[in-house]
Amino acid sequence: MSILISLFLKLSAFSLIAFGGVNALLPVLFNLAVTQEHWIDVQTFSDYFAIAQAAPGPNFMTVTLLGWHVYGVIGALIATLAIAWPSSILIFYLQRLIMGIEDPLKKKSIQYAAAALAIGLVLSSAWQIALQINQSMAAYALTIGTIAIVFFTRWHPLYLIAIGALLGVLGFI
Amino acid sequence: MSGFGGVLPWARRTLVERDKILTSEEFSAILGICQIVPGPNIVNLAVCIGSRFGGARGAVASVLGLTLGPISIVLLLAVLYEHYSYLDSVKGVLRGISAVGVGLIASTGFKMLKDELRYPAMFIVVIVTILAASYFHLGLGWVVLISSPLALVLAWKKAHSE
Repeated sequence: MSILISLFLKLSAFSLIAFGGVNALLPVLFNLAVTQEHWIDVQTFSDYFAIAQAAPGPNFMTVTLLGWHVYGVIGALIATLAIAWPSSILIFYLQRLIMGIEDPLKKKSIQYAAAALAIGLVLSSAWQIALQINQSMAAYALTIGTIAIVFFTRWHPLYLIAIGALLGVLGFI
Repeated sequence: MSGFGGVLPWARRTLVERDKILTSEEFSAILGICQIVPGPNIVNLAVCIGSRFGGARGAVASVLGLTLGPISIVLLLAVLYEHYSYLDSVKGVLRGISAVGVGLIASTGFKMLKDELRYPAMFIVVIVTILAASYFHLGLGWVVLISSPLALVLAWKKAHSE
């Protein structure tokens, strides 16, 4: 029971600082689940990350899987609820406030500031997570290749995930 | 449910183009707000759109509608993972996908970074944030506290420079 409460409280706190969404939060989740609490090992974390990427739906599924690992279906629901409720309540009240700002300069400033913050957090998240889960030079090459393809083509991400899966099953990564 | 590779493009197509519940401008404005606020972006979007049509109840309904299906699927995958994760081919597949996944996250960041080229001073915020998080390993709360005043000042200047 206490592990459920701890899961709920810690994830709830993360919800309010997750600028850039859950993807920006991954290193913090890693620290909590792997380094501090020893809920899962590095391999399981990176496998869950992969499953969450490949599954349809929102990208917070790594959190759901983490909860599942800790306490089954109840854990999965508690973890998902925890990551979503504080920010949901925040935006429920904030949306009218922000929509109501008359001064377009103020509105833009808030938007630009949040965007810059999110970019920094998302990029550092990608960097830190790459260091944890890429175990070979081939994996880094695939990561860099993915970035290049996204930049220079309009391929659907699902194709890239399929290519990753294929290269993986053939033993290249 | 059909949100492979992110739910956003699909949400836009359904709400704006098919059902015409929102205009394109309204959708973009709502999306802008949802990206400002911390938390899972897509849940934020569901709260905003749901509450427009049904208050708090609408918000809860749209969040549940959006998340319950995918959660069931991912839990099903988790059960399969428990049974088959010992297989070398499964391990390989997951290694490949996670390497691509990191790349996809990084590309989101780089694409947003490209938009900042119009006002390069904003790069300072990005660099300070990255250094605080990745080099000094500060907690996320501290990183946000340190970077946000700087971000607001520069954003204010950027807005005035346009």
